[in-house]
Amino acid sequence: MTINNYLKKGRLFLLSSVLALFYLVSCQKQPTVTFGSTYVGDNNGANIVVVDTGTVNMFTVFVDTTATAGTGYLQVGNFDDPYLGKISTRAFLQIAPPSSPTVGVNDHFDSLGMILLFKKSNPFYGDSTVTQTIVVNQVDTLYELPAFSSGFNSRSSLSIDPSQLGSTSVEILPNIPYTSQGAGDTVRIRLADTLGLQLYQMIYNQSDTILNSTKWLKWFHGLCISPGASSTGAISGFQDSAIMRIYYHKAGVYSVPAFIDFNITNRTYQFNNITKTQPVGYPLHNLILATQNPQIPPATPSSATVNAGYVQTMNGLNVKLTFPYLNDIAKRPDYLSVLRAELTVRPDLKSFNTSRPLPPQIEVYATDLNNLIGSPITGSAGVQTGNLVVDFLHPLNMVYTYDVTTFVKAQIVNTDPNAKLNGLMLSMPSPSGTTSFARAVLADATYPVNQRVTLSVYYISLYPHN
Amino acid sequence: MKKLSVFITLLSITSLGAMAQNNASPYSQLGIGDLEDGFYNRTSGLANTGIAYRSNRYLINNNPASFSALTDQYFTVETGIRGSIVNYYGTPVSPSSNQSGDITFRKLIMGIKLSKHWGSSIGLVPFSTQNYEFNVPYYLQGSASEIANHYYQGHGSVNKAYWANSYEFFHHLSIGIDAGYLFGQLDQKDILQNPSTGASLTSTTNTVDLNNLFINYGLQLYGKLGKKWDYSLGATFSNKTDLFASTNRVVLASDSSTLQNQELSQTYLTLPTTFGVGVSLTHKQKYTFLADFKHQDWDAVQNKNTYPGKDYTLGNSNKGSFGFEISKKKTFYNNKVELSYFQTGVYYGTTYLQINGQQIKDKGVTIGFGVNSLKSPLAYSIVFQYGIKGTQANNLIQERYANFTFVVNYGSLWFTKGKKYD
Repeated sequence: MTINNYLKKGRLFLLSSVLALFYLVSCQKQPTVTFGSTYVGDNNGANIVVVDTGTVNMFTVFVDTTATAGTGYLQVGNFDDPYLGKISTRAFLQIAPPSSPTVGVNDHFDSLGMILLFKKSNPFYGDSTVTQTIVVNQVDTLYELPAFSSGFNSRSSLSIDPSQLGSTSVEILPNIPYTSQGAGDTVRIRLADTLGLQLYQMIYNQSDTILNSTKWLKWFHGLCISPGASSTGAISGFQDSAIMRIYYHKAGVYSVPAFIDFNITNRTYQFNNITKTQPVGYPLHNLILATQNPQIPPATPSSATVNAGYVQTMNGLNVKLTFPYLNDIAKRPDYLSVLRAELTVRPDLKSFNTSRPLPPQIEVYATDLNNLIGSPITGSAGVQTGNLVVDFLHPLNMVYTYDVTTFVKAQIVNTDPNAKLNGLMLSMPSPSGTTSFARAVLADATYPVNQRVTLSVYYISLYPHN
Repeated sequence: MKKLSVFITLLSITSLGAMAQNNASPYSQLGIGDLEDGFYNRTSGLANTGIAYRSNRYLINNNPASFSALTDQYFTVETGIRGSIVNYYGTPVSPSSNQSGDITFRKLIMGIKLSKHWGSSIGLVPFSTQNYEFNVPYYLQGSASEIANHYYQGHGSVNKAYWANSYEFFHHLSIGIDAGYLFGQLDQKDILQNPSTGASLTSTTNTVDLNNLFINYGLQLYGKLGKKWDYSLGATFSNKTDLFASTNRVVLASDSSTLQNQELSQTYLTLPTTFGVGVSLTHKQKYTFLADFKHQDWDAVQNKNTYPGKDYTLGNSNKGSFGFEISKKKTFYNNKVELSYFQTGVYYGTTYLQINGQQIKDKGVTIGFGVNSLKSPLAYSIVFQYGIKGTQANNLIQERYANFTFVVNYGSLWFTKGKKYD
């Protein structure tokens, strides 16, 4: 007879050996396999669907006044734009004499001149090979705001003495910068000697008008720097450090040249007056203008403006985009959620070149039925300005792109009756919106697919399971 | 006895989790995954050829009729563990990452001879496994240029808990019934990724719960052929069975917020009618020759299998195998006691998957060695298996696998009041 005491040992051995092996179970690795879709089972998973054929309506929204005061630049020039019409801008400014200027009894007056400075980064728009005529006139009314106005703007204007103080013709090469006058970045304009002598005498006499700024501004209201009537082809933005200078000679053993500067003053009162005309034949001839004041900025559909929208914020032109059928995407049976949405804005390929460059930045904002610029549509990196890549060799690549996911996510489920009037506003951000005449002619939905504005909505799709 | 109960309970709980893990098998995404065709028992070294095999010590769960062969009053527990290394070949496979390996628990079963002619067994065995991870770049719907990467993942298994009984009639016929309950869960993920950053754009997780009863019938007819030969004929049969599938689907956005959490309507996958036949011839209780043939009639249930894959077809599965065993025995007190055994086998078959006109085939060889301890109630066997599954033709994937199976068997006589031998 054998008693099976050994069973305990056996059980313990079995238990320990098997349990020890369980710890090895986690040893596992996977191969890297990339299938074609042919052999993949349909496990009814969610997919991503791209909708980039949705209707995009384009409008040019026109604001008749824009902020042009105190921008830091004296915008002077005429430009005949084949899309936007004839644009003219002139600068109004005030100058003031230096404090306590003096000249000696034996000193003698030479001349009076205007000095305009053009730095490399200053705004310039147009053909730099064209000779421009710049004219200086004296403002002949009080340099003051009209009643009920809080500031000067693009429509502001002051009466000027029709007789010129002086003028010059000059060619400005903005990227060097250099002027044809051979004085580096400086444009010099000889002004009337009569005014120069008068000012020289007043200084010599220590006139109250020279010494008292209030009296000075009531006597010498300001200057207007404008393009010559026949000058066209470019608009130059001069520094607002313009100077009117009296040149004279100081008497002595040797006569020494000297000058007295009248510098710009009240910079916030410096403004640029912009006028434009869109004769018959120009795309913007049919632009809807405001007829009442106040009135919401009118929006002109692209069909009325040669199938394009126009952005030149300084000139009051912005583009509104609406997506009337966006809500229909959410009604699709497979729609779950918006993954992301991307807006691609393409300029008309014929509309830009090196002389008529595109705005380097166009910002996207929310807007509604009032056609006003709302809050910026931000992307992952914050404010979006289009990420334009300048590539004239491949102009199709010159597009503005925006992440408009937040806008589309809200809009796609917005069933408000006015929701179809909500949209996106494209506008040049500050400071270029108030200093640059660069403009974009944006192609509407009638253009070929790869050349038009496109809203690509990427949504998560899942077909209902039966 | 109490300790043994604790041990068995512990094994059962652990095994439920451990069985779910296995090597990657890209085609396991289809249907309910790779159907398990290994038994991890005494027949593993015989290429699992054992429909006609009968053993007085080991649990031959190839055929429920075999349990009546256990020694009277014999109780036995058997567990199997498999280590596997798989190399993958074919154009979809990255040459720099074409191998996987794992060690997995494969089964836990127990058997007892309840009476002179009645053998019974309960256990937990794998029925099918699903484990895959692969990438599929897709063009976004509606775009001819933008691509998203579908990263498919699937893990899970269907297991079978069974109670099998067999009864011997006329000393030459044994009939068995294996009443099983199939249950399991498959987690299938489809993660859409940004192909350049790998960031998830959206993901869909289908959690599929599967269950139903599954009955398998067995029969063995056996006897002597002259003085030196023993024969055994075996057959198994299971009728087609619906395996119910309840699916819960969760769709997550890129920020992991839930877009949808839905219980889908119940579907099912029909398991086909299956039969197998086998023959075994033993010479002088030493040399055993075995052959099996198994057939699964998937053609008949093709139209009923709507879940979860498509773009593939089901085909009848056939498998033939041969085994040869040499058993070393020693005589104690007029009883022949087996000390060790050596086994080898070959197999060739077609799986139920037909993809792109190619039915996935599986072939290989096995070699095994086992010892029965004379000083303890334990027996061990180790089996090496090398096989090739699938083809590289038509852009498919071929798996070349090497398995090492370790089976531990514990056995003792019960109801002897502590006396093992008189």
